[in-house]
Amino acid sequence: MKRLSTLLFVGLLFALIVSACAAPAAPASQPAAPAEPAAAEATSPAPAEAQEFVTWYQYDENNEDPASDERVGNEYLRDTIPVFNEAFAGKWHWVNQPKAWDKMAAELVAAVQAGADVPDLFEGGSGQVSLFYKNGVMQDLTEWASAQPWYADMDPNALLGCTGPDGGLYCIPVAQRPHLVYVWKDRFPNGFPKTPEEFLVEAERLKGEGLYAVTFFGSTAFDGEGLTRAVWTTIASFGGNLDDGQGNMTLNTPENVAAVEFLRTLVQSGYVPEIAFAGGFQEENAFKDASAAAFPTGLFGYRYVNPLTAPNGTEYSKGNQEDMLDAIEAGDVMLSPFVAPEGMTPGCGVEVSGFAIPVGAKNPEGAKAYIDWIMTDAAQNSDWVLRPGGGFPTLKTTQASADFQTPFYQEAAEVLSQSACRSWYGSMDRKAEAQKLAMGAIYKVIKEDPTADIATELQAAQDEYNAGN
Amino acid sequence: MPRISRKRMESLLVNAALIAICLFALVPIATTLLISFKGERDIVRNPPNILPCDTPTSAFDWRECRWALEGYERVLAAKPSEGGLFPLALTGNIVRVYIPNSFMYALTTSLLVVLLAGMAGYAFSRYRFRGHRALLVSILAITAVPLLTNLLALYQIGATLRKAQIPIHDDRIFLIVVYIGFFLPLSVWIAKGFFDAIPRDLDEAALIDGCSPFGALMRIIIPLAFPGLMAVFLLTFVNVWNEFIAGYLLVAKNEFKPAMFGLYEFLGQNIINLQVVAAACILIALPIVILFIFARRAFFSAMIEGAVKG
Amino acid sequence: MQQTGIRRRAKRWLRDSLPFWLLLPTILILLAVQVYPALYTVWLSFQERNPAGWEFVGGANFRRLFGMGLFGESIGHTTVFLLGYAGLTLVIGFVIALLLNRKLRFSGLYITLLFIPWVIADIIVGIAFRLLVVPDYGLLSGILQNPALFPPNGLSILTAVPPRPWIGDIPFPPAPAMVYLILASAWRALPFVTLLILAAMQTIPSELVESSRIDGANPRQVIRFIIIPLILPTLVVALFSLTLSGMNGVGMVFSLTGGGPGSSTEVLSYMLYSIGWRQLEFGRAAALALLIAAVNWLLIGGTLRLTRVEERSH
Repeated sequence: MKRLSTLLFVGLLFALIVSACAAPAAPASQPAAPAEPAAAEATSPAPAEAQEFVTWYQYDENNEDPASDERVGNEYLRDTIPVFNEAFAGKWHWVNQPKAWDKMAAELVAAVQAGADVPDLFEGGSGQVSLFYKNGVMQDLTEWASAQPWYADMDPNALLGCTGPDGGLYCIPVAQRPHLVYVWKDRFPNGFPKTPEEFLVEAERLKGEGLYAVTFFGSTAFDGEGLTRAVWTTIASFGGNLDDGQGNMTLNTPENVAAVEFLRTLVQSGYVPEIAFAGGFQEENAFKDASAAAFPTGLFGYRYVNPLTAPNGTEYSKGNQEDMLDAIEAGDVMLSPFVAPEGMTPGCGVEVSGFAIPVGAKNPEGAKAYIDWIMTDAAQNSDWVLRPGGGFPTLKTTQASADFQTPFYQEAAEVLSQSACRSWYGSMDRKAEAQKLAMGAIYKVIKEDPTADIATELQAAQDEYNAGN
Repeated sequence: MPRISRKRMESLLVNAALIAICLFALVPIATTLLISFKGERDIVRNPPNILPCDTPTSAFDWRECRWALEGYERVLAAKPSEGGLFPLALTGNIVRVYIPNSFMYALTTSLLVVLLAGMAGYAFSRYRFRGHRALLVSILAITAVPLLTNLLALYQIGATLRKAQIPIHDDRIFLIVVYIGFFLPLSVWIAKGFFDAIPRDLDEAALIDGCSPFGALMRIIIPLAFPGLMAVFLLTFVNVWNEFIAGYLLVAKNEFKPAMFGLYEFLGQNIINLQVVAAACILIALPIVILFIFARRAFFSAMIEGAVKG
Repeated sequence: MQQTGIRRRAKRWLRDSLPFWLLLPTILILLAVQVYPALYTVWLSFQERNPAGWEFVGGANFRRLFGMGLFGESIGHTTVFLLGYAGLTLVIGFVIALLLNRKLRFSGLYITLLFIPWVIADIIVGIAFRLLVVPDYGLLSGILQNPALFPPNGLSILTAVPPRPWIGDIPFPPAPAMVYLILASAWRALPFVTLLILAAMQTIPSELVESSRIDGANPRQVIRFIIIPLILPTLVVALFSLTLSGMNGVGMVFSLTGGGPGSSTEVLSYMLYSIGWRQLEFGRAAALALLIAAVNWLLIGGTLRLTRVEERSH
């Protein structure tokens, strides 16, 4: 026992040394005064009279890893925080608290319910509106926003994405993130098919070459996140709907069944790689090495899908967002609308991202100053949309600016003009539950049980959701 | 003669079987280590290879191994530092902030749990009072309610305390109290078990020899119960080190959060590159594995006592 | 005279109230950290959130819970998981303990190596096991996805479709992902169970085994008629504690399978996490938490009763 306690003592000593060594290297992590978290901000000193303005972003300005998945957003904060603090010197001092992307909404709801500290500004968008509304988390910004000069310049559809069930405006949309299809051009010598029937023909040909026609987020991971991506794009393209406009789910409709039937054919015929169902964004790998010819996903996906190897062997190996943009510029990758049955417009999902102000925010005026800055300063607006936003600007003037005339954005705009994008959840206010139920049912019939009756399974999920209304 | 050789044969077989089992048990750890030292190119390969040592001409050539430190480089984020003791400073949050935090939480919590569980265990072991058994059982029974919903109440308490702006109070103190509450019930039972094993005659003898009750406790009982208290200490240390959700939710500032949160945060920013994920896992598990290897005997008695008495 | 009387009385008061003072801090902390949150959970299970605040809804949360298709399914998954996990861990733990229960030169080394998994966090264990079977790139996938081994397409653990159930909706035989989840959980729990069984085996007097050998019992008979009956209480304690940990552990499911593929590894503890912290339906999550607590109480009660019986028999 004596030997053990000696060892343990040595171990503890070691631990203390480690912590002691770490401390001087990290003066920034130990705020001198506990009441002044601004001290954690070593990047720019705060003038004494400046008030704190706290944000929750999923990005971390202190993560300088150039290979991090979220480097684009991280860099945005690192570059912009000092600029903002300078522009608002003496008035506002921006403090960002990085949050985990899949937990920040939950944390905010818990914080509001418990009366804990909330940020002045929450980076979020249409995805959270119903959840936040139900939990009374967000301030209605209608009155303030509609009085601002930039309000009239905004895309009405984007505003709709931020509108709650009661008609209030619960977030300020800055970027729209539509979904479209990334395509390896060489895999479709006759061009990307227009209809599901044509697509199946091409898929069979590709299968014969040992390739897959399409990869997509097919798993039920992240509580059915896949529904919001390719599955909804398919349903929307078949003219389907998931809600009736009154908050009820309408999963079992002839259009939806046809769309699901199409997905089932793709999966059961072996046109989709198995990795599409592995979760954790593994499905991207099949597109990276061009073993899958098409990849319906969000426009912002270009950021994560790299490095790339084209069918002709060209390698795009910078390992960052430029790979996809380079491949598009070189003509190896093209953007395309999804397939749609004869006489229908291709559909796609769209999310709006922007800012919300939580109930109980200490300095909502700081948040408003920041939003106003982003919406008024053209360069800032473009920058936000290009980097954290990862989509199209909601302001028409920004849309026309040179930043959005690159080959990538021009092609994307062209593609989107041929599609009709809308949000998947429509009027449903229990989005997370709806997503999990619908994706569970669809996964079951397309992957697990190819003989199950599609309508029956969809109806069961629909009934379960509507029982909660 | 033949009997001896049969015995040897048997021992050989048993040893062989145990070696096989040990190797098998280490496969997941070994492969994670391997991945952490590979480069992206050697991970994203179909079919996979175990060692990144193949060349176009041969399946294995040790001179051609492409071991990569990218995973660790990105977790540690070593940067040249001026004026420091070492030419390099590790700027990765996991090693710079979260692991030291976890040491602080685990150490403080374990020491306090040892103290409190020692006191309570001694009381349960040496005194009979009204509700003795009921209290002992309720201490354990209360842990049955799943943590995930209890967290909401704890979150609320934490927020209220934060608002009250009690001087010197911060989230770290609250989290330590919460951790103590999590791991105290079982520890009380373990400590009681150890005290029970010490004959009462010893206390009495000490009292007769002129010791005060407190003196008897300090001089006779504590030394004898030391292995048990050490067991409580180590068990709590490991549990606090590995705890995630409370450390994530109950502390507002990231710079006060523990290592498992660090892993989670890291995953949020690096889900795609497996070598980085593997390196982060290895770095966070390493301190506790080293602690275990040094203190394994006390661990073993902790586990047995914990299960038999609790 | 009077002074010594007071002092004596004070001393006695102190002595009599000593257990109270010793227990007080523990009780206060447990009231704050365990009892109050538990009561809050009970309150929460009858509430629902709307924009204005909490609203009393009676038993609606429980009704909604029972109305969920996933709830029944999840009970099935949990049962299969618990049976597989507890059974596998006990059997392998018993075998390893048997092997270790003899004088071996390197038993210290074996035990140390075997026990490393126990100190590693369940989330990390889940990640390590996931890395092994990542489709196409995992080292194990390289073997399992070989079509020659598992025709026609090879086996991809994280995505393979569960086999058709033999009886009704009971998820048996389990999906490959469930089997793998059981393996990973057993891997982490094995050290604990092995050590527990080993400790019990070492309390068996060696004369007992020797004499039965002399009486002509073969090793199998020794195990069956001497060892197992004598360590039975320990085996049952291990069973209960495995069930308890299996019932409540969520980290492994979270990082290994995320409940998938489909819902084939969605056990009750993961469902609780999903309803509470992903869908943010705290009321319904609290209702589920109470049901899980009831099962936990049965398990804890069973363990206590057994250890008490054991104590008395000594």
